[in-house]
Amino acid sequence: MTRYKRQDPEITRRKFINAAMGGTVAVGGISLLSTLGTANPVFRLTRDKMPPLKGDILVHAEESKEGQPIKVSDLSDQLVRAWPMGKGEDGSNVIRKGDPNNILALYRFPKGQLIAPTVLEATVDGEVVAYSDVCTHAGCSVSDSDQGDGMKCPCHSGQYDPKRGCIVTGGPPPRALAQLPIKVEGEGLVVADFFLAMPYPFIAEAEWETFKKEVEEQLA
Amino acid sequence: MNQWLDERLHISRLNDKFLRKAFPVHHSFFLGEITLFSLIILILTGILLALAYEPSNSLVTNSFDPGTADKPNLIPAAYHSALKINAMPFGDMLRRIHHWTANIMVAAAVIHMMRIYFTGAFKKPREINWWIGMLLLIFTALTAVTGYVLPYDNYAYNTLKVIYGIAASVPWVGEWVAQAAFAGKFPGAGVIPRIYGYHIMLLPGILLALTGAHMLLMIKQKHTQPQYAKRIAYKKIVGVPLSTQQTPIMLLLAVMFAAIIVLFSAFIPVHPIEFFGPPSTTPINNIKPDWYLLWVFGALAIIPSFEVHLFGGLIGAEFVGAIVLPTVFLLAMFAVPMLDRSKDNMYYAENPTNHPVRLAAGVAFMASLIVMSVAGYKPELISSGILNTANANTVLWIALFLVPALSYFGVMGIVRGIRSLREADERERGAFSPADD
Repeated sequence: MTRYKRQDPEITRRKFINAAMGGTVAVGGISLLSTLGTANPVFRLTRDKMPPLKGDILVHAEESKEGQPIKVSDLSDQLVRAWPMGKGEDGSNVIRKGDPNNILALYRFPKGQLIAPTVLEATVDGEVVAYSDVCTHAGCSVSDSDQGDGMKCPCHSGQYDPKRGCIVTGGPPPRALAQLPIKVEGEGLVVADFFLAMPYPFIAEAEWETFKKEVEEQLA
Repeated sequence: MNQWLDERLHISRLNDKFLRKAFPVHHSFFLGEITLFSLIILILTGILLALAYEPSNSLVTNSFDPGTADKPNLIPAAYHSALKINAMPFGDMLRRIHHWTANIMVAAAVIHMMRIYFTGAFKKPREINWWIGMLLLIFTALTAVTGYVLPYDNYAYNTLKVIYGIAASVPWVGEWVAQAAFAGKFPGAGVIPRIYGYHIMLLPGILLALTGAHMLLMIKQKHTQPQYAKRIAYKKIVGVPLSTQQTPIMLLLAVMFAAIIVLFSAFIPVHPIEFFGPPSTTPINNIKPDWYLLWVFGALAIIPSFEVHLFGGLIGAEFVGAIVLPTVFLLAMFAVPMLDRSKDNMYYAENPTNHPVRLAAGVAFMASLIVMSVAGYKPELISSGILNTANANTVLWIALFLVPALSYFGVMGIVRGIRSLREADERERGAFSPADD
């Protein structure tokens, strides 16, 4: 008759080794996760990735004419795509296409056709208007509708009305295309300020405001 | 030589264990094999393509159309090398074979899965293999999508932008995940090397590992037996051994399959990258994903816009349509074996008409995928005048619920009809046979 309960040392040893091995594998495995840190490269906000800025000249985005400044006479009620072109750090011209979301849509409508909620002060004489050309739904480039009723996104058929501030007239986009204030300088068109509303791919006003500040700080 | 090897490697044990594996003789059991042959053809053609492809999106001068000295014609190196592959002898053919086989691999996998589902082959003890099969389906689709992007023409570029947007639409972590997955803000300087790495290393590695597991489990657990095996030898494995009877059948099938693929590729071109041109801001009209992802695309087109801000994250239509909805559908497919509560191991493939609810639910599930895929053609439906912008969403949403419901009850009705006919037949036979003896 033993008074104490005998413990089987085999079990404790096995338990200990299992726990030790498990712990080693876990720590080793987790430490390997650090290599995933290489996956996300550092983002550098270079001039070609900045959004359209005050003073940027609008240039043609179409391949054959790329880089040529846009004149008011080039525009019509058919969409013309443009890039903003600003100055690089060395003073040379930089087309801001490092961020494809900078692509712009330009229209010229007869006077009186552009109506609210288009911000008329941000257009040229209430005739020439500029919007972000990037669909607020999934970021595709928006085109003229083949039905002749405004703009249409080829991806999921979101529709916008460029005469009414590019509000959504059909399909899944969550908000209107952002309007870009422009003015005429000489023969060309020049950006007057940041987008009036947040463009794609921003999802919150706060984020867009922070980004604008970041850009301004870097330029200062 | 066999003896020489056997003395050193004991290959006769290998022979007993694997090469004598019995294969049921029924054409529906070839679907998995066709998927496997596709994978092999894809790996072989993929190796040849990788030898000539240049995984880089940095700009190089287009050697086919160099432009002028002061304004060189710059295109991404990946697109340039794809153009060069097309210009090689049989290069275009190689791309076509690779592309067609990828499509057929997904199709064969889907039909293989339908066979498993409708005959109840996913039941105990084969649940694990159903789940591995589901993973194989998902990773096959991912491999196909990453391969789609590699030529880096304008179509691929636009597709990639949408994929990036979908990844970034996940609330809270989306932007970080998208940047980590695609090497920085779109289009990151390293995006093509990244996707190339996924397409030729990571995803095929996962696919091969899963394929190996899938087949080892199948050998361990044996195929489900077709119904005729019950009559021949009850609860015995019936079939022809892998070596040698099944091998010539498989080889014949593989050669025939390869021939059909080559025939397809010779006559039906795929994805004309010369036509789409290098990446640009010009959108592509009628841009669509491949057929197996069209349902997600269609769902995105009909889900109305909404935005819910929650703890600083945004839950939008894009997230719900492209991530939540496919996840729900895939989870439903993952859950299939758990819906079956039978405790016994399953030996024999079941006649689908004996399980009308399963059959009808499967048909309804596929009907909903088909309706969503049709919704992917919304722009075409509108421009052809069948629908208009005002009613398109309503009609497609109604169809999305109505068509699966109708197909469910339709199938139930048909099955009931078949069963009553069969019962009447049996009654008749029962009434006549003993008396006639």
